[in-house]
Amino acid sequence: MGQSAEFDAIVVGAGPAGATAAYHLAKRGFNVLLVERGRGAGSKQVFGGRIYAEPLREVFDDLDKAPIHRWVRRERFTILDGDRELTLDFRAGASTSFTAYLTQFTQWIAQKAVDAGAVLADEVRVDGLWLDGGRVRGIVAGPDRVAARVVIVAEGVNRLLLERAGFVHRASPRELALGVKEVIKLDKKTIEERFGLEEGEGLAWVLLGEVTDFIPGGAFVYTNRDTLSVGLVVHLGGAYQLLRDQVHVLAERLRTHPRLSRFFEGGDIMEYSAHMTIEDSVGYMPEHFAYDGMVIVGDAAGLLLNTGLTIRGVDYAAYSGYLAAKGVERALSEGDASAEALRRHYEVPLRESFIYRDLMRHRGASYAMKNPRMFREYPRVALDTLEEIYTLGRETPLPHEALARALSRNRVGFAEFALRMLKVVMSL
Amino acid sequence: MSQAQEPPRRKLLRIDDLLQRNVYDVDQRPHIILHAEKCEECEYKPCLRACPAECYVEVGGRVIFSYEGCLECGTCRVVCPHDAVEWDYPVSGRGVYYRFS
Ligand SMILES: Cc1cc2nc3c(=O)[nH]c(=O)nc-3n(C[C@H](O)[C@H](O)[C@H](O)COP(=O)(O)OP(=O)(O)OC[C@H]3O[C@@H](n4cnc5c(N)ncnc54)[C@H](O)[C@@H]3O)c2cc1C
Ligand code: SF4
Repeated sequence: MGQSAEFDAIVVGAGPAGATAAYHLAKRGFNVLLVERGRGAGSKQVFGGRIYAEPLREVFDDLDKAPIHRWVRRERFTILDGDRELTLDFRAGASTSFTAYLTQFTQWIAQKAVDAGAVLADEVRVDGLWLDGGRVRGIVAGPDRVAARVVIVAEGVNRLLLERAGFVHRASPRELALGVKEVIKLDKKTIEERFGLEEGEGLAWVLLGEVTDFIPGGAFVYTNRDTLSVGLVVHLGGAYQLLRDQVHVLAERLRTHPRLSRFFEGGDIMEYSAHMTIEDSVGYMPEHFAYDGMVIVGDAAGLLLNTGLTIRGVDYAAYSGYLAAKGVERALSEGDASAEALRRHYEVPLRESFIYRDLMRHRGASYAMKNPRMFREYPRVALDTLEEIYTLGRETPLPHEALARALSRNRVGFAEFALRMLKVVMSL
Repeated sequence: MSQAQEPPRRKLLRIDDLLQRNVYDVDQRPHIILHAEKCEECEYKPCLRACPAECYVEVGGRVIFSYEGCLECGTCRVVCPHDAVEWDYPVSGRGVYYRFS
């Protein structure tokens, strides 16, 4: 890169957050450098499988041209324990999300940024933020320092740069989860037949119980055009120590599970990937989303909502990148990239947006989700209750008897159970 | 309800077979350095089970690390209780190259 003239903005990381910020700034006529360590944008991206579209319609006016695989209409939720299985199968009236490869989707955004005039410097690892007093003046990459009026940090969940510069605390396992995924090739027709889908229709499936060895987390299956994304996420805090097998063994158990393998049968594994994700968003957030000469977007800012049934990170990332671009535009046009100005123009709108508001509203529920009993005892209570109701000998139990027996078999007090359920419902 | 009716489990692929599906451009210099002397006092050795690429293995009570199959997830840095993992991303485009994830 050499010693160059100052950029209006340098974006670190061409993920959905960074690429979107670069696109919107370049489109507004700013001189933007988008730096990515991978070979081409997208090459380091891993996610589960689906993207929520509505917020993105405001961000990209040609979203329908994105590399969309299938629009999700079918939602499935399963608890598995040995040969017992409870499944909820829901077909939505309308679709608001699509399956995709994040590698492709990110590439699509980055290409828009380049077309709008941003300079993409890929294969460049940023080694540090260039600090001057408390102010961020640019980036350090190898022997080079590159200056910018504003640096947009979009480095993702593994925040080496923000940690090194002391803007955030050291990541703790309690705040994070590890996800692994296999992409399995099958033809389009076979996918639609096996999952009972109409042509082009998509499915999102979350599984709990045996699939994560009953430790907090969950497994997922998403249908792409002619592949399946199959994997699981396990929390890294606490109960994780109880894990008896390596995570890739759990992924392989999922693929070969006697109750599930017929879905994957005959499919070649095309890729095996891993990535961390945020478990405790609010705890992971930096104190501020803007500092002197710097704003923070996407996963690096802790913007991820995992309710256990749904996960949103990509739309949050892109939307926060969009808000950052608008905020930086305002600040730069006032000629003021101070923390104060950037907070006024980016942090305040972010805190007022659906993203931050939802993260705060779900705070209590995600706290309850961290209880290991949510993943071990409670799913078994559900299965045992149904077993009592359906597996009849002579006696037919009343519903409350079935529940009471299931609770006592799992050593869960009725009051505890009722309170916990109430808490989850109330916090929503 | 009989257990015998379950179809037999298919074979699990081993980690090498999974990693072989990926495209890598492995750097000659490791991007992660393990200070294995710190591992000797470590009771749980969470890296052994946490690493999704099985880059950490225990041989005769010692932790041996190899970086070639690394998926760059960052988990080992986070779970290590003794700060024994000196972690960075691979330089300039090296490492794993994801295409369908
Ligand atoms: C297993 C799993 C399943 C998920 N499922 C879903 C899902 O189904 N739906 C959903 O919406 N979200 C999902 N997410 C979350 C989603 O992937 C993230 O929220 C999203 O990718 C965040 O985007 P980002 O741009 O902030 O960060 P990232 O996508 O992580 O991008 C960061 C970029 O910065 C680059 N970078 C980092 N450091 C440097 C450096 N020093 N120098 C140069 N470049 C650097 C990286 O190479 C990368 O390209 C999932 C996550 C995981 C792990
Ligand atoms: S970064 Fe992830 S894949 Fe690489 S060695 Fe650490 S835990 Fe293993």
